[in-house]
Amino acid sequence: MRTRNTTLAVAGLLVATVTGCGGAIPTASNSKADGVYAQIAKLPKDQQVAKAQELAGKEGKTLSLYTSMTADIATPVAKAFEQKYGIRVSVFRGNSETVLQRALQEGQAGKPGADAVETNFLEMTALSGNGMLVPFNGSALDKVEKTGKFQDWTASRLNVFQPAWNTDLIKPDDEPQSWEDLALPKYKGKLTLEISDSDWYQSVTKWWLDHGKSQAEVDRLWKAIAANGKAAKGHTTMMQFLTAGQTSMEAMNYTYITDRARAAGAPVTHLPASGVSKIPAFARPNGVGMIKGAQHPAAAWLFYHWLLTDGQKELVKLKLTPSTKVPGDKSLDGLTLAPFDVKTLSSATGTWDKKYDALLRGVDTVGN
Amino acid sequence: MRIVRSLLSFQGLLVGGAVVIVGYLAIVPLGYLIHDTFLSSDGTGVSFGAFSRAYGGNAQAGDMLLNSMWFALGSAALALVLGTTLAYVQVRTDTPFKGLFFAASLVPLIVPGILYATSWIFLGDPSTGILNSLVFEPLFGATPINIYSVWGMIWVQGLHLAPVAFLLMVAAFRAMDPSLEESAAMSGANRLTVLRRVTVPLLRPAMISAALLMFVQSLESFEVPGLLGLQNGIYVFTSRIYFVLRAYPVDYGAAGAYAIGLLLIAAAGVLLSSWLQRSSRNFQTVTGKAFRPRPVELGRARPFVGVAVILYFLITVVLPVAVLVYASLLKYYAAPSRKALSSMTLDNYRAVLDMPLAFTAPKNSLLLGVGAATAVMVLTAVVSWVVLRTKAPGRRLLDLLAFTPIVIPGLVLGLALSFVYLRMPLPIYGTLLILLISYCTRYLPYGMRYSSAAMAQMSPELEESAHVSGASWFQTFRRVLLPLMSSGILAGWVYILVVSFRELSSTILLYSPGKEVLSVLIWEQFENGQFTTLAALGVLMVLLLVLLVSIAYRLGARFGLQGDSAN
Repeated sequence: MRTRNTTLAVAGLLVATVTGCGGAIPTASNSKADGVYAQIAKLPKDQQVAKAQELAGKEGKTLSLYTSMTADIATPVAKAFEQKYGIRVSVFRGNSETVLQRALQEGQAGKPGADAVETNFLEMTALSGNGMLVPFNGSALDKVEKTGKFQDWTASRLNVFQPAWNTDLIKPDDEPQSWEDLALPKYKGKLTLEISDSDWYQSVTKWWLDHGKSQAEVDRLWKAIAANGKAAKGHTTMMQFLTAGQTSMEAMNYTYITDRARAAGAPVTHLPASGVSKIPAFARPNGVGMIKGAQHPAAAWLFYHWLLTDGQKELVKLKLTPSTKVPGDKSLDGLTLAPFDVKTLSSATGTWDKKYDALLRGVDTVGN
Repeated sequence: MRIVRSLLSFQGLLVGGAVVIVGYLAIVPLGYLIHDTFLSSDGTGVSFGAFSRAYGGNAQAGDMLLNSMWFALGSAALALVLGTTLAYVQVRTDTPFKGLFFAASLVPLIVPGILYATSWIFLGDPSTGILNSLVFEPLFGATPINIYSVWGMIWVQGLHLAPVAFLLMVAAFRAMDPSLEESAAMSGANRLTVLRRVTVPLLRPAMISAALLMFVQSLESFEVPGLLGLQNGIYVFTSRIYFVLRAYPVDYGAAGAYAIGLLLIAAAGVLLSSWLQRSSRNFQTVTGKAFRPRPVELGRARPFVGVAVILYFLITVVLPVAVLVYASLLKYYAAPSRKALSSMTLDNYRAVLDMPLAFTAPKNSLLLGVGAATAVMVLTAVVSWVVLRTKAPGRRLLDLLAFTPIVIPGLVLGLALSFVYLRMPLPIYGTLLILLISYCTRYLPYGMRYSSAAMAQMSPELEESAHVSGASWFQTFRRVLLPLMSSGILAGWVYILVVSFRELSSTILLYSPGKEVLSVLIWEQFENGQFTTLAALGVLMVLLLVLLVSIAYRLGARFGLQGDSAN
């Protein structure tokens, strides 16, 4: 008798598994969300926040955020938002590629798990291109500069490209003064290049071409830089080897990573001893967006609004570069900002990836 | 009618169920991979464009293949020699310091690859590594160690993998009747001849299994090639996969083409290994005769072996763990100096214990680790029986199929699972269950190798006599086969438990907020750039898992598993 029961149970399980595989595809897309977004969008700007708060209360006061902010940033940011609006935030953290993949997978299955997304430029562009985002029209946009506004997402913070070096190993006389300097023979064997920095490669290339260099000169410079350096993976990993004195200089790291290591007492910097860097600092926007069909659209709207207003102050506290002007922000001091070429980068990314990869491997690109 | 009845019998359902589950687990990611690789860009026909994108043009496919093979073969060979020697010394000799083997066999496995490789960078960097600057430079005036070479990669990977061989070989040595060796010795063969002509041939199934596993695992691993190889432009398959998966738009086709390249190599390995094991009767050492292994007396060699054991322990366990402990006491990593030593603090441990997830993450990891290890070992014990003991059609294919997940890149596995379970009306996506499914899939090949190595050593006469005595199939399986395989099964169980604590590449896509596991926590610290906090976390993880595994072995001993004392 017992055996038969077990048999039935096993059979039942098998049937469940098999039918489960071929089951119909449920479309749980939340059309209610679009209604909420529209309801907030059509109100006068000074009434939007109050309405969003009211609706967020009805949604259950929760928010699901997908972000590539590191945990030491995402946690205090989520906490500050919770304190302001009493909305509980559950955070999915992953690197930007993972955030994109997960949001796309869920979106294509009609089961979005995120309400709001905060991640890198390229991934936000991809989400937007796949029709995953809903435009925002709140008053918070007034503070953001034109270059930080995109069709359905907005820059929330900036990652600034600069070289970084260990001050015990690179003395003031040997500090780099320009991107061109990285090609100097004195840096032979001292330079590290990150294998995914094709956006930096593209920005510097474009800058050089726009400022009078010929393609041949640019190619020669890159070849010399690549010959000076070694490849490494991961900006934070690189910084750890730089602080340990294992490497001397990084061709590019994000200034906030250098600043945070420096604040912990490590002998690293991205500013010369004079305190002013003349190296064009490209600032790549990271952005925030609201997900179409979200479970908690009003909470997503509030988070979007908050991250561009009060949230900016939190980012400054965490030594990040905010996308709006915030009193007390010192993250751009001593830097010479240069425009980040949004258009080229978002239109032809694959080719830059391939060219940069070929440069690091020391091979010629096809059709270059 | 009889066929239907026999299929519906308990045995039929159990075996059929296990086969279906294993097949299902393996086919989902494989199907996804093949679909993405061969689908033409317009989405209608079959195309091989992905292969030309992956291997053609300036991809340096030849170099990549050579580097990969050299690295994987070297690491597998090193690990096999180390693991087998250690297992032999541990099980079959009266060596001193037996307790150290336990740690030496586990710690390199527990320490996450990224930490293990980083520790070796701090030890073996050609200019600033501790070994060069504190040992070789003052003593010999030279800095011979360069960790950023293929040899350095093989060294680190080989040490990291040696526990896989060790665990498998210990199980094999325990299940081996030493009377064959004794008869050889009685007939006048010297020790070396016995080893060469009797011991090693008898261990062939386990050795082949171990070599295959480690070879493919090295092909598929990224931490060591990523941290050590890139420095000098040593690219392997996985560095290329990493590259295509992180670019946008992601070229899944090219990633799939690389994975299929790996799959072909792995399939060749599986076929070769089953061909090598074709005359399997020769290896069956567990027969109806009782035996009791007697340790070989080392005699005058004993102190030398003792020194060698201590040396091995120092190199694989003490050195890397000491680097971790040292780093975990610093604010940021710096080479040892008076300044660094004076700034030591326990802040990193405090930071780890203060993390909001300090308790849920280990709990979830434990649940998943135990769950995946148990499920995989039960499934593979049944499936290896089907593969090795029956003449069922397609059993070779089943063996091959169960091996395929090993080459599927973790991210692709994650995408395949989320694709399937987002569309399934069962509450699996967004729960721990999807992680369990992912871990079961990933570690299926390992479980399969451990189980079939154990099964291959067993003579069918034991089952036959149980059957003749009136035992049902299930009784025979449960009362005869499983206990006799228990050494191998426990080894596989321990292996899966330990490595599932490290799994990140599919976890990172599939975990849900509130359901974090330890590897996610480790990844977060890594991303934060908190190497020193990460080191503290690594040290705590080593302690936790060593404790867990000791408990597992204690329990195993209670349930009749031969313990060290029996040898």
